[in-house]
Amino acid sequence: MSTEWLPLVVALPLLVAFLLQPLAHWLGVRAERPSPVLYGLSLMTIAATLWITLQLGSDVIAQPLSVTMGGFNTPVGINLYLDGLAYLLLLATQLALLLLWPAGAAVRTHVLLLVLAASSMGLALSGDLFNLYVFYELLAVATFGLIAASPGRAAPLVSFRYLLLSGMGSVLALSGIALIYSHSGSLNLADLSMLAASGEGSLPIAAFLLILVGFGVKAELFAVNSWVPEVYSVTSSRFAALLAGVVSKLAVVMIVRILLLLFPQPEATDPLLLLGILGLVSGELAAWRSNDFRRMLAYSSIGQLGMIFIAFSLSLELGLFAGLALSFHHMVVKPGLFLLLQQPLSRWRVVLLILFALSLVGVPPLPGFWAKLALLTGLVEVGGWLNGVAAVTFLVATVVEAGYLFRIVQRYYQEERPIAGSTSSTVAAVESPWGWEGGVALMLGGVLLAVTLTINPVTEQLQQIALQSGDRERLISTITVSEVE
Amino acid sequence: MSREHRSMAWTPLLFSGGLAFMLFSLFMAVPFGEPLMRVGGMIQQTDGELGAANLVTAVVLGYRALDTLGELAILFAASTSVGLILTGVKQRTVSVECEELGELFEQASTLLLPLLIMVGFYIITHGHLTPGGGFQGGVIIAVALFLPTLAGRGAALLNHRLIQQVEGGAGALFILLGVAALLQGESFLQPWLPVGEIGALFSAGTLPLLYLAVGIKVGAELAALLTHLSTNVPSPEVPR
Repeated sequence: MSTEWLPLVVALPLLVAFLLQPLAHWLGVRAERPSPVLYGLSLMTIAATLWITLQLGSDVIAQPLSVTMGGFNTPVGINLYLDGLAYLLLLATQLALLLLWPAGAAVRTHVLLLVLAASSMGLALSGDLFNLYVFYELLAVATFGLIAASPGRAAPLVSFRYLLLSGMGSVLALSGIALIYSHSGSLNLADLSMLAASGEGSLPIAAFLLILVGFGVKAELFAVNSWVPEVYSVTSSRFAALLAGVVSKLAVVMIVRILLLLFPQPEATDPLLLLGILGLVSGELAAWRSNDFRRMLAYSSIGQLGMIFIAFSLSLELGLFAGLALSFHHMVVKPGLFLLLQQPLSRWRVVLLILFALSLVGVPPLPGFWAKLALLTGLVEVGGWLNGVAAVTFLVATVVEAGYLFRIVQRYYQEERPIAGSTSSTVAAVESPWGWEGGVALMLGGVLLAVTLTINPVTEQLQQIALQSGDRERLISTITVSEVE
Repeated sequence: MSREHRSMAWTPLLFSGGLAFMLFSLFMAVPFGEPLMRVGGMIQQTDGELGAANLVTAVVLGYRALDTLGELAILFAASTSVGLILTGVKQRTVSVECEELGELFEQASTLLLPLLIMVGFYIITHGHLTPGGGFQGGVIIAVALFLPTLAGRGAALLNHRLIQQVEGGAGALFILLGVAALLQGESFLQPWLPVGEIGALFSAGTLPLLYLAVGIKVGAELAALLTHLSTNVPSPEVPR
């Protein structure tokens, strides 16, 4: 398969999304009713993108590839860039969508989820600053609709508040992009990273801060994350798992790419570190205070992302590796936790819950421990007082994390006190059927154990990916070579 | 109103004022128009390789066609979201309480309808020659289709099913034109068909076709959205 087919992973879901409603008419399905045929079609579309990704991306870790759109060379045209990191993100997005796709949803929900899929994959792939913004906006609009249509009564209001915050973020991010464009005259990431080496002055840093706060809305960055607990507590647990697991990571990786390629200087990483620390503190403390299981997970997600931001602010191989490890770890554990609380807790589910909680806290030999260890050694190695503060905060936060996660488990054994936010008020005595959600959670637990057993090869692969995505020369040469051909 | 409330009322104003001042001072620091930007200069040197007399169209549908596809999808996602949200709401047809609009108004709306559609299509099909194009022309078509509803003659003209099929087909056309280039061994969304003579109506390869798809999609989508909003009004007494 020619690499030119790569854009189909974005175009194919959009094509099906455009045609799904006419097709529903043709089949005689009303737009607000579920339809097994259209559900199957949507899943097949995602499976097709998965197939394309697997075909094209098998050796991107050795050699990343860049595909220009419309046959126009960068920086005039747009390019898609597939490296190890983008490949992993694509696979994670597609698998998460396949596993978490709501079966009995209305036709329009399928349409919006397909749009969400297309924009997520576009975000993972795009090598152009404005194109990233377009996909980010598309992702946001699809999310508003999906949240507003959630069954909860508060859903429309929550969605509207999210829309306002996200809209403000978009204005800031777009202003930042406009500043970069008017300062340098280019939007292509590779082109910009060449220009950035010679760039001076405070204007680019201002632009980066605008982009950071703007895109930070989706990445659950401190001070623009007030939507997180609200949204996660009204949406279905599958959608919450999707948002917390995949979508937030896409936004994080987008920020990290911009940071690595365009702004490798300390003026840009220090604010990121500071906001990361604040996010960690506020998220973990709020989770500790919270009595509702879902809100607790939402706040904990803010804390975890703060941790990830701290890791990425180190901006060297070790920090990048730690950040990626934490991101992918969170991508497995948080959806697992969200899915588990959909169901009444029984003995084996609590065992699974304890497994996830242990890994999240960072108990050896589970993967969470290695990810956290990488962050801690990175912080100590780089040194400096701000990193020292980060390291201390990080250790305290871990203790707090252990405190609230085991409160959930403790509730199960006390039995007389029901867990708020969980579907059933009492603990089921008999093992109820696991269902799809439980099965997916079980699978994620299996992934966690598998990674524990193969921690060395996995670490090596991830380190290679981290090295590759931090390699500016590699990116520039890949994109330039693809144009000469 | 308590004292705290009164003091809180100033906060949004203060915030937006500060934000506006910050953005203003940032943008005052960058030059505008001069000197010519890096990419701008490159595009000027391409010397009409796409055959579009309107350089903006060459950028929108040629160099940055993927962005345009994204923008189309954003509008589509927004209108689908509205549909999704409004289906949960109890349906009620509003009877607009207003006086007779008069003979003149009704006749004028009938006369304007074909005229507006023609203007809309003119703007769409000349998008590669003159300022304008699919988005602008599409909005005019949407207004034309919404006019009967505004004039109080109901949405009889709008067949929801038909309009949805037209909209979906137009969106698919945009993507399929891009895929067709792929099948010929070119890149996705690469303009094909002969470029022709710059300035002629039939020129610039597939760009006018792409704009036609954009225009029809935008027109159909906005018309459906406006009619949807004007006929499905949530009844205030029924909680969701």
